[in-house]
Amino acid sequence: MSGATAALDLAPERLGRARPQPTRTAPERQHIRAVTTGARSKLRPRPMYAVVVVGAVVAIVVGQLLLSVGLSQGAYQIQQLEGKQVELGRTSAALAEDLDRLASPQYLAVNAQALGMVGNSLPTYLRLSDGAVLGTPTPASASTSPIFNAALVPNAQAATLPLVGGQNAAAADGASSQEAVTPPVPLQDGLPSPTTR
Amino acid sequence: MVRHTKTTRRRLAFTIVAVSIVMTLFVLRLVDIQVVRASALSAESLEKTETGDTILATRGNILASDGSVLAEAVMRYSMAASPKDAGPFERDVDGAEQTITLEQATNEIGAIIGKPGPEVLALITDALAADKDSLYALIAKKLTLDQLRALKALEIPWTTFKEEPYRVYPNGAVAGNIVGFVGEEGEAQAGVELMENSCLAGKDGRTTYEKGSGGLPLPGTTVTKPAKDGGDVVLTLDKDIQWFSQQSLAAQAEAVGASWGVVTVMEVKTGKLLAVAEYPAVDPGNVSATPSEDRGSRAFAAPFEPGSTYKSLTAAALIDQGVANPNSQVVAPFRYKPSNGADINDSEFHEDMNLTLAGVMVQSSNTGISQFGEKMSADTRYAYFQKFGQLQKTEVGFPSESGGLMADPADWDNQTDYATMFGQGFSTTAIQGASLYQTIANGGVRMPVQLVEGCRNADGTMTDVPDATGTQVVSADAAKQVSDMLEMVDQESWVAKNVDVPGYRVAMKTGTAQQPDGDGGYSSSYLVSMAGFAPAEAPQFVVSVNLADPVKMNSSAAVAPIFRDVTTQVLKSRGVQPSTEPAPNLPLRF
Repeated sequence: MSGATAALDLAPERLGRARPQPTRTAPERQHIRAVTTGARSKLRPRPMYAVVVVGAVVAIVVGQLLLSVGLSQGAYQIQQLEGKQVELGRTSAALAEDLDRLASPQYLAVNAQALGMVGNSLPTYLRLSDGAVLGTPTPASASTSPIFNAALVPNAQAATLPLVGGQNAAAADGASSQEAVTPPVPLQDGLPSPTTR
Repeated sequence: MVRHTKTTRRRLAFTIVAVSIVMTLFVLRLVDIQVVRASALSAESLEKTETGDTILATRGNILASDGSVLAEAVMRYSMAASPKDAGPFERDVDGAEQTITLEQATNEIGAIIGKPGPEVLALITDALAADKDSLYALIAKKLTLDQLRALKALEIPWTTFKEEPYRVYPNGAVAGNIVGFVGEEGEAQAGVELMENSCLAGKDGRTTYEKGSGGLPLPGTTVTKPAKDGGDVVLTLDKDIQWFSQQSLAAQAEAVGASWGVVTVMEVKTGKLLAVAEYPAVDPGNVSATPSEDRGSRAFAAPFEPGSTYKSLTAAALIDQGVANPNSQVVAPFRYKPSNGADINDSEFHEDMNLTLAGVMVQSSNTGISQFGEKMSADTRYAYFQKFGQLQKTEVGFPSESGGLMADPADWDNQTDYATMFGQGFSTTAIQGASLYQTIANGGVRMPVQLVEGCRNADGTMTDVPDATGTQVVSADAAKQVSDMLEMVDQESWVAKNVDVPGYRVAMKTGTAQQPDGDGGYSSSYLVSMAGFAPAEAPQFVVSVNLADPVKMNSSAAVAPIFRDVTTQVLKSRGVQPSTEPAPNLPLRF
């Protein structure tokens, strides 16, 4: 009977406490640590990752730089070509203007006169169906052709254009063309008849 | 556990309250700006930051029927300098830096623009004298591309360049009076430039953007409304026939001392004007060289008493009415005094002539046509004038165009009653005269007179094409008989040798009209005309020549060379085959 109650060690003054107090020993306290040796090895920083990450960042930055340099280069090229296009467009328009001036009838007529050409106011026609000649063939000469005086129908745009003979178009009055007229070539054996099948 | 004393709590509360009050004020102000006054403030800010440029529309060109350019919109350039910055600058010459002084720079500029260097320098110094902080002085305008490039090559840092639209007329005075011209600002002032301005002008566009600092456009804020360029006006004029007519007219007009003249070439079947040549002519590229009274188109705007060329109208009316034919006979004295008191005489004294109607036309006898004309009432003759389009403006609608002047028949006095039979006592324009002969040549069908083919838009479509419906004025038979009589005139009249066009049958009528002196009587100045068409058997072209006051040759012989040369040129350049059948031979006398 005394042996059964001794094992529990239940002292009446001790019944108030719910929790049995564990017996603590000094060495057990050392086990509570934040980091254990085993776990530490898994979290050691690897230099590889750092290198890869930094390398990727550098590569991206460098890549972006090269891309933007390339784009800028392209942009400069575009700007240059656009500028060239504008200039060529201007040249083309200026040349078209020159062409219109050179094609003006006053300039053509005065130039033709300077070359010694004469107009033929008596046209003759050749009817191809039967080879008939309609009209009287007459060689053109200065007397049948009106002399074109450039001052009668002036052209301010073409006034300073040079003439074939080196004269100034505005000053030409046709009188100088008289010396350049060559005698007409006479037709021998009539009109040549075409050999057709 | 933090222990707050009472004072600490009070301080905290006070701070919180103060901060909330300030926050509330801010929130209120924010709401006020962002919500309440948002639209007004954004509008104000937009006003300050938004700026725009006008995009100028290019003016359309005026083209002849073959597409050659009569009036063209081109670019020219202007150069300005900044007087405040004008001074010496460094230029890289063959690798070495060279200092160019202001004088040298202005001399170089002057050499290119064609002004003396000191004059260019004066422009800069004058601008500085007026305002010492002046940043702008115009140096030269209307520079060509070559000049622009040469000036840019000088690389003077205080110069700027601008592009400006400009109008050029590459063919000079060819059709100059018809094409018209523009003023300094490019506004239309005369001719087709003015008449077709709604087609040529186009609509300006606008580009607006918001500007940031330094005036740079903020990206994404540019709004562009594109400009609508003007359309091209295509005329019916043939550039080469126009030039030839002008040349021929001017040469002869100067030879006979005429004060002005017109040559009209018209297509018979369509009423299209191939040439309207004027003397004196104006070069739209050099308008100031011509006096202002010569800068318009007398063909459209200057009516005159036409004279005997209008005997053809009377003859056509007579035959159409059935009261006469080319063989009808009349005795034509030199002087005819009808019962109503009028007094009519022929141009030259002659004994009484027994003439047929054809003979009256060949002789151009006023007394003869008066006796024939009596067979129709004044109202009938007036109605024919109306149908022939002689009483109103033509369909062209040219600026300042005139429809001529003819009094109502009820107001005709005794003399006018007869004078209208031979082309006096009323006035018409040269174009109306050409239209009369177009009707006779076209089997009696009058086609509307046409100068403009239409307005060609950028996509190639033609708009504003005039109506081309003809009206039968006299019967085809009447027209043919008049044509036959006019062929007799061409062959048998006293100027026949001067108008011979070998190989072709031509119908023609002469006319020498007295011009009014402005006081109700006639002056001693004449207006000489010749009108006709060719080839007579199948007419294609009307040629009409009018020469005012040919003091050195006061007769139809003055216009004969012009008529002959222009008719020959038109037939030649259009490749009309020579006539194969002989002309009819009508009896002229009995």
